[in-house]
Amino acid sequence: MSFVAEAARSTPRVIVQFCRADRRYDPLDTLEVHYQVDGLEDEAVRAVERTVLWYTEGKGEEDLGVHFFERIADRQRLPPEAPTERFTTRLPPSPLSYEGVIVKIRWCVRVRFFFGGGRDFVSEHEFVVGRIPPARIPVAPA
Amino acid sequence: MTHRNAPAVTASGVPANPFSTRHTRPGMLPPLDAAGVPIDPGRLLARLRPGGMAIEGPHGHGKSTLLHALLTEAAGAGRPTACVRVGSRGWVQRALSAIGLARPGAVVGIDGWERLPVAIARVLIMTATCRRATIVATTHGPTRMPVLMRCETSPEVLAALVALLPAHGGRIGAADIEEAFQLHGGNVREALYDLYDRFERRNRSLPVEAALPGLAPGRQSQERPERFLVRLPGP
Repeated sequence: MSFVAEAARSTPRVIVQFCRADRRYDPLDTLEVHYQVDGLEDEAVRAVERTVLWYTEGKGEEDLGVHFFERIADRQRLPPEAPTERFTTRLPPSPLSYEGVIVKIRWCVRVRFFFGGGRDFVSEHEFVVGRIPPARIPVAPA
Repeated sequence: MTHRNAPAVTASGVPANPFSTRHTRPGMLPPLDAAGVPIDPGRLLARLRPGGMAIEGPHGHGKSTLLHALLTEAAGAGRPTACVRVGSRGWVQRALSAIGLARPGAVVGIDGWERLPVAIARVLIMTATCRRATIVATTHGPTRMPVLMRCETSPEVLAALVALLPAHGGRIGAADIEEAFQLHGGNVREALYDLYDRFERRNRSLPVEAALPGLAPGRQSQERPERFLVRLPGP
């Protein structure tokens, strides 16, 4: 298991643990994710949404597809009663992660916390599906 | 707004391009004045009057960004908001219903006012005035509406925006920013696309592992209004 953590400028800190240390998966693999949130202080969490999705990134229009989505509003499964949670999903055959020049396809786990004051906090953690090497820009000979 | 990591690396080991649309689209960056200083949308909100008001400026000068910030501010203040992009699917019906059903104090953004047929524009302004709502329209040139803001850009604006984006790991210098700005005649959107290309060219000519070892940390956003731009004026 690998830990991917980040200190945010605002109080919450989300720690996501993937079931593979290198965060590289093949199509149809099972993805298992544990996550933990720290630093909520007294702010009440109203709901948590966890999503597995792909999105495109580049210079133009963006696209995305949600593969897995679950919203938790049961207090017993929300922080602080449940500071850690996990979920599992089987990845689809496509699209595969792609690191192109004009467009890229990225997969990520998104954990979104909704607070009582009507605000939310989103944490995204990327992983790779497939084994397509990054595109290279041909370099003209000198 | 996305929290910055320096330097950001994708899970595949390639440094992420900070100039992609994901980081630069309206709503991701704050509106800046010509000196690169953030514009306070609250002050503009206080100047709104029933009827129509215009945000003027050429392509890529921050009109949509400012409109986005203004609508966010209005929504945060509890005012009904809606935004219609002229030319998008069903825009005529959405514009007419947003303004025709607007409650007093509602703020309706119309992005691309100059593409509106004159007759529809007149109907919308008259209706908004009658309903005590405000249309904020982005336009490239003068209109009959009072001007809320004229958007201007400068190399300082572009430099300030680059500083707000995720880290580029030293791949983009001050000369690149100045050159991209001049090359695109002050169009910041095109200048950011230009910087995207420069980043890609330099990024992929470097050995990735040597340049930026390690896996990417996650991205975390700051808190933001939960129901942004979803409250359409009710009947």
